Amino acid sequence: MQIKPIITYSGSFPLFRSLEAQILNAIPLDTCEWRRTFQRPTKHVRLEAQTQQFSVEPLERYKKGDWSILEHPILHIFVTECNDIDTYKATIREEIDSWLKLLSSYGISDWMILLVETLDMRKTKNLLPRTTVLDKIRLDFGSKNDDRCISVLNPAKFEQKSTESFRCLVQRIRFLMLTSYNRNIAKYEELIRSKREKRNHDDWDFRQYFFMQEDLALIFEKLELPTEALIQYDELDAMFSQFITHTGFNEKQQWLAYFKRPLTAFHGICLSRVDKFEMRQKIRNEGVSLLEFRNYLFERQAYLLLTCNEIPEIAKRLLGFLFSTLREVEFIKLDCQEGALSCWEFVCALEVLQLCEQAMEPNEVTCFQHCAPIWNLAKDKLYELGKLCGLLPGCTPSSEQLHIVVQLSSGIGDAPPQQQQQFLQAMPQLRDRSPNRKPKLSAAQQLKEALGSNQTFQKLYLELAELAISTYKHVTRLRSARLVGLDLGKFYCALNEPHKAVGFFTDLLRELKAENWHMLSSQTLLELANCYRKMGDSLAYTKTCSSISCCAELEILVRTFYFDEFLKSLKSLDTTLSAQPSIENANYCVLEDHFRILDIEVLNTKPIIQDDHLLVQLRLESLYPREIVVDCMKLCYELHLSNDLETGLQEVALGKDCASRLKVTLQLFHKQDNTLNCASVVCDTPKTKQPVRRTSSTKRKLSPSVQADFTNVVQTTNIALQPGINLVELKGKATRVGRWQFKQLCITMSSLEFLSEQLPLNSQPPSFEICTKPASASLEFKTLIAGIVQPIYLNVSGGSFIFPPDAQITLRCSKNLRIRQALKSDETALSNSDAGFENVLQLPLLQFKSFEERRIPLEVLTDMPGRKLSKHHEHHITLSCPWSRTDLQIPIDFQPAMEATCRLHTCGTQKFLQVIMKGLDARLLLQHAKVKCDVAGVRLIDLNPESQAPIEIYKSLTVTYLYEIQVEPLKAEHELPIVKVHFVVKYATPAQPQIWRNYGCAFDLVDYSTLFKLQAQLEPNELCRLRTVCNLNIKITKINENPYVDLMYEVLNDQNLWAVCGRSADMGVVSMKDVDCHSISLDVMPLSTGFLPMPSIRLSKYTAGGKNKADAHSRVHPFPPGQVYNSTKSMQIHVIASVSGDQ
Amino acid sequence: MAFCIAVIGKDNAPLYLATSDVERELDLQYHVHAALDVVEEKCVIGKGAPESKELYLGQLFSTENHKIYGFVTNSKIKFIVVIDSSNIALRENEVRAIFRNLHMLYTDAVCNPFYIPGEQLTFKKFDRAVQKLMSGNV
Repeated sequence: MQIKPIITYSGSFPLFRSLEAQILNAIPLDTCEWRRTFQRPTKHVRLEAQTQQFSVEPLERYKKGDWSILEHPILHIFVTECNDIDTYKATIREEIDSWLKLLSSYGISDWMILLVETLDMRKTKNLLPRTTVLDKIRLDFGSKNDDRCISVLNPAKFEQKSTESFRCLVQRIRFLMLTSYNRNIAKYEELIRSKREKRNHDDWDFRQYFFMQEDLALIFEKLELPTEALIQYDELDAMFSQFITHTGFNEKQQWLAYFKRPLTAFHGICLSRVDKFEMRQKIRNEGVSLLEFRNYLFERQAYLLLTCNEIPEIAKRLLGFLFSTLREVEFIKLDCQEGALSCWEFVCALEVLQLCEQAMEPNEVTCFQHCAPIWNLAKDKLYELGKLCGLLPGCTPSSEQLHIVVQLSSGIGDAPPQQQQQFLQAMPQLRDRSPNRKPKLSAAQQLKEALGSNQTFQKLYLELAELAISTYKHVTRLRSARLVGLDLGKFYCALNEPHKAVGFFTDLLRELKAENWHMLSSQTLLELANCYRKMGDSLAYTKTCSSISCCAELEILVRTFYFDEFLKSLKSLDTTLSAQPSIENANYCVLEDHFRILDIEVLNTKPIIQDDHLLVQLRLESLYPREIVVDCMKLCYELHLSNDLETGLQEVALGKDCASRLKVTLQLFHKQDNTLNCASVVCDTPKTKQPVRRTSSTKRKLSPSVQADFTNVVQTTNIALQPGINLVELKGKATRVGRWQFKQLCITMSSLEFLSEQLPLNSQPPSFEICTKPASASLEFKTLIAGIVQPIYLNVSGGSFIFPPDAQITLRCSKNLRIRQALKSDETALSNSDAGFENVLQLPLLQFKSFEERRIPLEVLTDMPGRKLSKHHEHHITLSCPWSRTDLQIPIDFQPAMEATCRLHTCGTQKFLQVIMKGLDARLLLQHAKVKCDVAGVRLIDLNPESQAPIEIYKSLTVTYLYEIQVEPLKAEHELPIVKVHFVVKYATPAQPQIWRNYGCAFDLVDYSTLFKLQAQLEPNELCRLRTVCNLNIKITKINENPYVDLMYEVLNDQNLWAVCGRSADMGVVSMKDVDCHSISLDVMPLSTGFLPMPSIRLSKYTAGGKNKADAHSRVHPFPPGQVYNSTKSMQIHVIASVSGDQ
Repeated sequence: MAFCIAVIGKDNAPLYLATSDVERELDLQYHVHAALDVVEEKCVIGKGAPESKELYLGQLFSTENHKIYGFVTNSKIKFIVVIDSSNIALRENEVRAIFRNLHMLYTDAVCNPFYIPGEQLTFKKFDRAVQKLMSGNV
C-alpha cells in the first residue's frame, strides 16, 4: 500500500505532465520546516507526493464528511504557460476563476497557480513588458495570498536558468502541502471526534471508525510523527477493549459479530512482516478473527515503537496485550481449541523476545526487566502445552494427544516469509549479535518443533527456564529467579535427575529461610527431601527429614511421617557414615531449625570458684513432633574478650537492663604529667553494631557457618527431649579462671550435630566468672582480758589450696602470752591447772580439704601486769601457714582484769598505806591479800579484818586494804628515801574458783615521814561573829629534823568567807633555824555566817633570792603531802550573825 | 475483590498473609514473595527522586489471572495485594483505597502496646478487618 500525499493539477495537463516527474522527484530531496499549530514543536519533514488529475469526487466526499485524510488531495495546482496578457485576459483568467470558485465551494483553500514561463529571449530582448501575466494573476487572485501564485522558467527549455526558480517552486509546494496538512489534520481530527461521539448509534461500525483513525495514524507516520501515530493506535486499542469488556453483551454493537469468528488459526504476532498492510486489507475485505485483529494492532504499535527506538516498551506492553486479549476472547466466548491460546501466547512472547534479543544492550537493564517475565511466561506456556500433549518427562503422547499436536501445529501457522535481513537493515538500531550463527528459527517453527517430540520439548523447556532464570538474575530479581528455579527443579525431578534439581531447591530454600517465609520454605523442604531420597543421599535426606518434622506449618501427619523417616534414616547413618562430624562432611545442621534456645541460666552462686562444678540450666524448645533422645548436648563457652575496664562497666550496665544494649565505654584523657584531665563516657561505633536488633532481622541459614571451640563445655548426655519446652541441666567443671561467655550449643544425635548459629538472648549471651579463692587464716576474738584464760578462735578457710596430709599451722606468741588448744567442755571443769599453755603452738590441720572452712577454738593467757596501767596490753600472734611463705602477724590487745593503786595517809606521825583494788571488765574473786617489805626497819601492820571468804569484785567495784607502816625513826628518810612495798593478792575466776593466780603489784613509798606539823587556832575561841575581827594563830612545829630552814606560809581562804586583815598578812616567810616551833598571828574576819571552814594554810619550802647571782629571785617549792601534817585541817568555825546594832 | 492481602516486614518476612482461597494459598504466597523483587526495584529507583513520597507503588506485575499491587510505608513495611485480573470493574482508584484502608488498619494494629514490631500480626480484630477488606465490603 502506497501512502503518498496527493496533489491535483488542472489547467494545462500536458505541460504539467512534462514537469510532473521532475517535481515529484524533487520533493523528497530536501526537508521542509513544518510550523505546526497549537504551539506544537516545529519539525523538519521530508515529504513525498503523488499527482492526480483534478476531479470533483474527493471534494464531494470531503464536503459530505465522508473523506479520508489518506485519500484527500492535499494541494490543487493550476498550471498555465500563458505569457501573453491578452490571452490571459481572454481565456485563462476565466478558467482560473471557475477553478477557484469550484474549490472554494467545497471549502478548500489549498491551491496554487503555477505559471510556466517559456519566454522567448529573442522576442523580449529589448522590450521589457510593462506588466507580466504573473503580475496580472497575482493582482486578480492572489490579493491576500500572492505566495500561491508562482512562476517558473520551463526547465525543459532553460536548463541552466531554470534551476533557481524550480527550487523555489518545489520549496513552495512543500510549504503549501504542510500548511494544508495543518488545516486538514485539524479538520480530520474533528471529524474523528464527531464520529466517535456516535459510537453508540445503531449503524456505527467500529471497523469504519478504525480505518478512519488509522488513516490519521498513517499520515502521522508518514509525516515522521510516530509517537502521534502511536497515540491513535493506543486510542483505538483502548476503545476496542472497552467495547468488548463493557458493552460486549449489548445487542447494539452489530459490528462485533465480525470479530466473533472461531479461532481456527492462532498465528502469533510477527514483527518482521514484509507487507505490513496485508492484514489491513484483510480486515477491510474479508474480516478477521479477534486474535488476528489484535495481532495487527499490536504489530502496528510495535512497529511504531521500534521506529521510536523504544524496544523495551514493546516488551513492557506485551504481557498486558496478551492478558487483555485472553480476557477479550473469554468475554466474547470464542470457541477455540484447547491449547490454542497457549500456542498464541508462546509465539507472541518468543517473537518479542527475539526482537529484544537483537536490540538489547547488555547493560540496559530496563529491557531485561520486561523480558524476564516474558521468558517465564513462554516457559509456563510451553509447560502447559507439554502437559496437554503428553510431552512431559515420563509421559508418552497418546494418539489423541498426537492428534492435538497436529491440530495445534496447523493452527500456529507458518511464519510469514522471512525477509528479516532486509527488515533489519531498514532498522539501524537492530543488529545481529553473531552474524555467523545460523538464523534462528521463527517462534512458530520453534514451537512446532518442540511439540514434535519429548526430547525437543525438554530441550526447549530447559532452555527457556534457564533463560528466564538468568534474565531474572541479571535484573537482580532473585526471588523471581528462584521461583523459576523451583519449576525447573520440579522438571528435573520429573526427568529423574534429582541431583540437578537439588541446587535450585537449596537456592530457593536459602532465600525463603533468610526472609522467614516458613510456609514456602517447608514446601521446598518437602521437594528437597524427595530429591535426596531419589539420589540416595542418606545424610542430606536425614537432615531434611529432621527439618521437615520441625516445620510447624506442615500438617502433623506429614511431620510425624518424616519424623519416623528421620529416626529410621538416622539409625542407618551410623553404619553408612564413618567420618567424624565436620563442616566438610556436612554432618552439621542448624540448631535453630529444630530447637529453640529460650534461656540460659547459670545456677551456681557467684562467684564461681575454680574447679567448682558449673551447673547451667538451659530452657530449650524442641520443635519435633514427638519425644526425641539426644546423645549429647554441649554448650561451649569462651573467654569474654574485653578489657577489665569494659567488664567493669558492663557489670554496671547489666544491672540496668536498658543500658546493656549500648556499648558504653569509659574514656580517660590524661595530661602530660599523667594526671587526669577529663573523663567521659562514650558510646562508639553504633553503626557497626546496631544497638537495636530485631529478632526478625536474624537471617537464617541452611547450614551452620562456624563451629566454636568446644574445649570448655557444660554438657549432658542421653536425655530425652519432649516436644515443647524442656529444662535441661548441663554440667561441667570450671577449670580455668576468667570471665566466660556462652558461645554455641551443640546437640549430637548419632552422627548428626546440631549447631546453633547464635545464642538468641536479649543482647548478649550470659557470662559468668570463674575465679580462684585463696586460702586464709584469721583469728577471731572478742575483748580479751589479761590474766585469765581467754577463748580465741582460729578460722582457717581452705580456698582452692590443696593441703598436704601433714599440714599444720604454727602460732607464735609474743612475750608473756601463752596459747593452747581449747579443752573440751568436760575437761575444762576437771582441769585445775594452766597446763598446756605454750608460747608456740603447732596446730595440725588434719585431713583438711580444699574449700573447707574450719574454726579451731584456742585459749590464750597472758600475765596480769603488776604495774598499775590502764592502757591495753599489746601482744601479737604470728601465724605460719602452709600456703604462704610469709608469716602473718596478728596484733592482740588485752585489757587488765583489775588495777591496784596505793595511797599514803598521815595521822600525826603515824603513816598508813591504803591499797585500792578496782575491778574492771572481769568478775574475779580475791583473797589472801598481803604486803611485803623486805627493807629492815620497816614494818607493815595488817589492819584488815581477817576473812575466810574470797571477795568478789567486778566492774566499778573497789576493794580497799589498809596497812600501817612503821619505819624506825633513825632510818627514816635519810637512809631510806624509797621504801618498796610489794602487794600480792590471789585471784580466781568464778568459773574456775579452784585455780588461784597471783596478782602482784609493787609500790614505791617516798617522803613517808612527817617533817612539820601545822596548827591553827581562832580567837576568841569557837565563837565568831560576822564581820568581827578574830585572831588566827598559826603554829608551825618541827617534828623531825630536816634541812628546810625557810618556810613560807600562805593563808588560802575563800574570798567570800574570810577576809585577812592587814596588807600582805596572808603570807609570810618564817625561819625555822634553831627553833622547833614558830607562831604567827593574823587578823581575819568572817564574811559569812554559818559553819565556815578554817582558812587553810599552805606551807612551802622557801629559797630566798639574791644570795648568789644565779638566783636573783626567791623561789617557793611545795612539800610532798606526807611531810606536812595539818592537824586542824578541815576544822569548822561557827560564825554567828553580828550584833543587831552593827547592821 | 482481592485474592490475597499480605503485610511484609521491613526484612521481607511476612507479618500477615490472608488469602481468600485456601487451595491457592501456596501459589499466591509465591507470587507475593516474587513481588518483593519489584518492590525493591521500585524503592531503589525511588531513592534518587525526591518526589517519591508516594507510598503507593502501583502494579508490580501481572499474570494471566492475577494483578499484583504494592504499597510501601515510610517504615518500609510492604503491603501486597493480589487482585483477580478478570475483574475489570476494579479500578486502580479502588486498589488505592484498599491500600489506604490497609495502612490505617496496620497502623491501628501496631499501635497496640502489646505488639512487638517485627513480630507476626495475629490480632483477631486486624484479621477480621482485613478479611472484610478483601471481600470488598468495608
